[in-house]
Amino acid sequence: MGFLEVLADIFGAILIFLKPIIVPIGEWMVDWITASIEFLKQNFSSELTIYIVIFIILIVSGVIINIIWPGDRPGTIFSKGLDKIEEKFEEKLAIPDEIRRCKDCGNPIGDSRVCPLCGAEND
Amino acid sequence: MGPTINIVKGTIFTVIYVCFTIIIPVVTFSLLREYVVEGLPLDFTQEDLNNIIFWVTALGLVISGCAFFTHSSPKQSIRRGTFALIQVLVNCLYLWSYKFSGATEIIFDLDMGDTSGFLSLNLQQMVLVYLGIYFLTIILKLYDVIDFTINREKIRNDRMKE
Repeated sequence: MGFLEVLADIFGAILIFLKPIIVPIGEWMVDWITASIEFLKQNFSSELTIYIVIFIILIVSGVIINIIWPGDRPGTIFSKGLDKIEEKFEEKLAIPDEIRRCKDCGNPIGDSRVCPLCGAEND
Repeated sequence: MGPTINIVKGTIFTVIYVCFTIIIPVVTFSLLREYVVEGLPLDFTQEDLNNIIFWVTALGLVISGCAFFTHSSPKQSIRRGTFALIQVLVNCLYLWSYKFSGATEIIFDLDMGDTSGFLSLNLQQMVLVYLGIYFLTIILKLYDVIDFTINREKIRNDRMKE
């Protein structure tokens, strides 16, 4: 019994010491929770439908998001499709790195066989 | 882990949360309601019971939905942190719904012939202690979200390597 009393005194002392911090925290918690509950009571206390809809939305969106972004790799089904589309788009936009140049003067000649600058023939 | 394992994990946690936040409380309060109907002298009205069953079910559904989202998300992801935080906030409302519905203070009136009295079951202090713990949890979850956001790239690269 003596030990329990000492323990209770210690806890009591700690709580009294922390009271200036704990009380405002508790009041803040009670305030926002009461305000939220009041809001829910006034606006969403008649039917369960809205809560069932929220539940279904969370489950369905959770499933879809997990399929698209499972987290351990860049993605599956949909994101793979997106990657392919992006790759094709990039290929179309790609600017050729090597431009054909005249072997004599180095002038860019494109697809033509004869250099428009020096007249040299390029095969 | 692939999407299938994530979804299975989410489903398991949803089932657990549905059991603990909806089924068990609703069954308990339904039994209490039957006792009230049978005329047992509980200081608890039909309206109180209907009220508490409604809120337990409503907020339990939101908690279970958040649990699915949280536990099906990859570890240390921003979406996991965000939904864990939302879940804690809804949990606070859920706990408080017990208090404002009067379910934390049930008084049993006992009348046995010559002797009479009452038995009071007051759980308000316990709810308040839980709210204190939830405050600390809110702080931790907020820290997690900030941490996951700041170290996003590093966490993602580590996860991909695994």
